[in-house]
Amino acid sequence: MIKMKLKEFVKTRNEKFGVVIFDTLKEKVFVANETGKDIVDLLQKGYSLENMIQSLSDLYNKEPAEIKKDILSFLDSLKSNSLIEV
Amino acid sequence: MDKNNMIDIYDLDAPLFIAWQINAECNLGCLHCCEEAGHSMPDKLSREETFNVLKQIVDLKIPYVAFSGGEPLLHPYIFEMCEFLRKNSVNLKIETNGEYIDEEKADKMLSLNLRSVQISLDGVTPSAHEKLRLGGNWKKATNACRLLKSKGVNIEIVFVPTKFNIHEIGQIIDFAYSLGVYGIYTGKIMRIGRAAKNWDILCPSDQEYKTFFDTLNEKVKQYEGKMKVYFYPYDVIEELKYRRMFPAASLLVIPNGKVKLIGPLPFLCGDLKKQKLTQVWKNYRTSWQKPEVQEFINRLLENPKLLAESNKWIELFH
Repeated sequence: MIKMKLKEFVKTRNEKFGVVIFDTLKEKVFVANETGKDIVDLLQKGYSLENMIQSLSDLYNKEPAEIKKDILSFLDSLKSNSLIEV
Repeated sequence: MDKNNMIDIYDLDAPLFIAWQINAECNLGCLHCCEEAGHSMPDKLSREETFNVLKQIVDLKIPYVAFSGGEPLLHPYIFEMCEFLRKNSVNLKIETNGEYIDEEKADKMLSLNLRSVQISLDGVTPSAHEKLRLGGNWKKATNACRLLKSKGVNIEIVFVPTKFNIHEIGQIIDFAYSLGVYGIYTGKIMRIGRAAKNWDILCPSDQEYKTFFDTLNEKVKQYEGKMKVYFYPYDVIEELKYRRMFPAASLLVIPNGKVKLIGPLPFLCGDLKKQKLTQVWKNYRTSWQKPEVQEFINRLLENPKLLAESNKWIELFH
């Protein structure tokens, strides 16, 4: 079971369009849409990848395989910008 | 996901960053001080007003705040302010000359788990540093870095290049690394405040800047993955050209609670003694398009000497 979390000085704030992710250590701001907001929300609640897939699959009424692709893509983006740690 | 430092401020209900000059008192008289600090500002925010603003920062979920001054460690209850923000998970940086950091303060800073303590160091030896920072003590500043490092506090150094010290850029970066800091920040000196008044004796030549940036580019590569070497390549005029198109998602609060549009301009877009932070944020977002602001910027682009008026405030909202 893979668990990830936002790095210590990474802050988030929900906005009308989705979420702002602010790496305050590097002083870089990222924005994401509603789906990104939901993923970040689950990440902050400590969900594992498997639980995220299940939860968002139920929320969006989509096949887990389809949701998994979106989640992994988003998490890759977070990881490549050093916003999360495993 | 987009990395977007040009975030549209109209999409945000609140700023993402507050730069708060919490006092104007300073033990130094730096020739290049943007705020012309050193005096006590009348009508400072009271304790009650200060904590009212802090509470609004927390309520609006503003993620990141920087306290500066003057010298912020001369503020009578800075650590209570820090505690309030940190207990509410707001990330915090303190920008200081470092001279008041002793064991007790270093321990306090560690316990606050600050994002960083940023110390001004304008030379690799005392001579340039103390020539620029009148009344300053290079040894105290560097000892503060060592003390904080020994405690495990995240440190950054800021270096302002002038005729006196620009040639030391390579050495100061190497020195910063030897101190174990997280990062070093630099960029062209800003022609505002006291720096504008001392411009002719401070401003480096184009050739000096070329050598400076060439060295910086080399040092960025040399310290990649080891220490953050960050430099802003634009001067204040270029910054203003950019910011009139893409205002930052931040507010600059001065010690009396007034809010400046941006450091180099004289305009005030709000007053936290009288207005809520949400109202000031609304003011800020519309201020950039006001004719008087646009006209002033146009005049300033033609005559940079107007930057010397950055601390002669003009209220945009009455």
